Amino acid sequence: MLELNNLHARVVPEDGPSREILKGLSLSVPAGEVHAIMGPNGSGKSTLSYVLTGKHGYDVTSGSATFDGEDLLSLEPEVRAAKGLFLSFQYPLEIAGVPVMTFVRAAMNAQRKARGEPEVSAPEFLKLSKLAATRLRIDSDMLKRPLNVGFSGGEKKRLEIYQMLMLQPRFMILDETDSGLDIDALKVVAEGVNALRGAGHGMLVITHYQRLLDYIKPDRVHILSAGRIVKSGGPDLALELEKSGYDQFLKVD
Amino acid sequence: MDLADLPSRRTEAWKWSDLRAAMSNQESVLIGTGAMPAEGPIAALAEMFGDGYGASALVVEAPGETFESGITEGDAGQYGSVIVKAGATATMIERIGVSGSRLRPFLPSYARIEIEPGAALHRIIVQANSAPGDERDAAIVLNEVVVKLGEGASFRQFVVAEGSRLTRIETSVTADEGAVVEMNAVYLVAANRHVDLTSRVAHAAPGVHTRQLVRGVARKGGRGVFQGKFLVERAGQKTDAEMAHNALLLEEGAEVFAKPELEIYADDVACAHGNTAGQIDENAVFYLRQRGIPDTEARAMITRAFLLESLPDWMDEVVRAEVEARIDAWLGGAS
Repeated sequence: MLELNNLHARVVPEDGPSREILKGLSLSVPAGEVHAIMGPNGSGKSTLSYVLTGKHGYDVTSGSATFDGEDLLSLEPEVRAAKGLFLSFQYPLEIAGVPVMTFVRAAMNAQRKARGEPEVSAPEFLKLSKLAATRLRIDSDMLKRPLNVGFSGGEKKRLEIYQMLMLQPRFMILDETDSGLDIDALKVVAEGVNALRGAGHGMLVITHYQRLLDYIKPDRVHILSAGRIVKSGGPDLALELEKSGYDQFLKVD
Repeated sequence: MDLADLPSRRTEAWKWSDLRAAMSNQESVLIGTGAMPAEGPIAALAEMFGDGYGASALVVEAPGETFESGITEGDAGQYGSVIVKAGATATMIERIGVSGSRLRPFLPSYARIEIEPGAALHRIIVQANSAPGDERDAAIVLNEVVVKLGEGASFRQFVVAEGSRLTRIETSVTADEGAVVEMNAVYLVAANRHVDLTSRVAHAAPGVHTRQLVRGVARKGGRGVFQGKFLVERAGQKTDAEMAHNALLLEEGAEVFAKPELEIYADDVACAHGNTAGQIDENAVFYLRQRGIPDTEARAMITRAFLLESLPDWMDEVVRAEVEARIDAWLGGAS
């Protein structure tokens, strides 16, 4: 479903020199699978999520990324989104003056329009929203407030998953979704995420710690170091990491 | 009074709005004789060229009155005074150039407004244009009110302005004890448009509550000017005043000039001011695009929300819808 082949990418800051962050990353996530990417700070985890979703300021210098066989890198971010790519942000942005539900409905309809589907009706939207909010234990008042403005870290993360449930993406990238969540919130969020697992859906769970993977069980675990996958394995690899740290794998490079 | 008597960029209060230079191209305007009066250039020009409200002042005595004054085709501007009697409430709506008909190129308007103790006036100005290249681009719009606000009275104003060759909307308020002042505004300046919002609030007695939130956007070749002054006189103890001006420069080559001023002579006051001019947050734009909202729409959505925060909650639903529609049309590129 998602195929990355020898991907090299640079971050290009507005001020200062560009730096190569991804240095030949190859990865294949088949439909229906959940893959975890673990790695120390600075290994390129967030850069990977931004390169895949098309954020400005990141240059792919070589290699390829395809989604269902289609070149992903030439598409605008909104086109990638309409094709079913969703990023749960590590730091969700605050959008003053735009209520959550207004925003999500606009996003939903923009995606539907891009896919040539009819707009969501108001009753249908409300029904979906209520379901998602109940599942994530989100207060309906929160959905009327401006997006992420004044929300706690945990509320923001919960709201990312709410958006995910509403938009029903086919491929999800969770960037450090566990940060800022206490254990109860983590369970609720994981439950929401797991509801989207299944045939036809793929997922990349980027995390620093094993903790999240207790609740979102990965099919494969990859260790990212200095911009490359240095080791891949089954779920046990995450446990091994937790026990003995990254160092043993970093020396491989 | 001739052209040389008009303020130019060398005049501090007009340094970003060179009226003399703008007027020098207005062949249809003849400057009259006589000296410049103390009320200043807008009053002088409005008296010369404007239509009066009549010999006597417009007096509002009952609560809940609404009066509208549109300056459109055939009008030359207005000059007069308004009195809102004690206990009365009124809404004053001024539409400048909104009708779709052609404006005269020169529109000076000046009013003295007296709001008696306990009275309330809501004032709304909608100054708008149609398509770029429209003849109204050449218009000079000058609008000034001088407000005397009585004890416990309130003056709440909202302005939305798209500008013209030169648009200056000036508001001066002198507030008595316990009065409430609110002066919010939105300006939207496209290429070759100039909006100048100048205001001054004198807190002349204790316990005046003042709020001002001005939000503006400018495109390439457009110019926005905000000059806001809060004066707290020695008698103005317990003044509670906040001023904020925030502008988004939507394109390179957009210009915004701002001069927020606090001048405080009392020692027990709460006064704050904030002033920012910058570009739209690209990270926020990316966030919206990642959710599937196309770039242009994402920018419009963020900008719209930024502007709408300045819309007061007291505004009538119909007028609010009109203002929102103007903002949407402008953001959609119609202006």
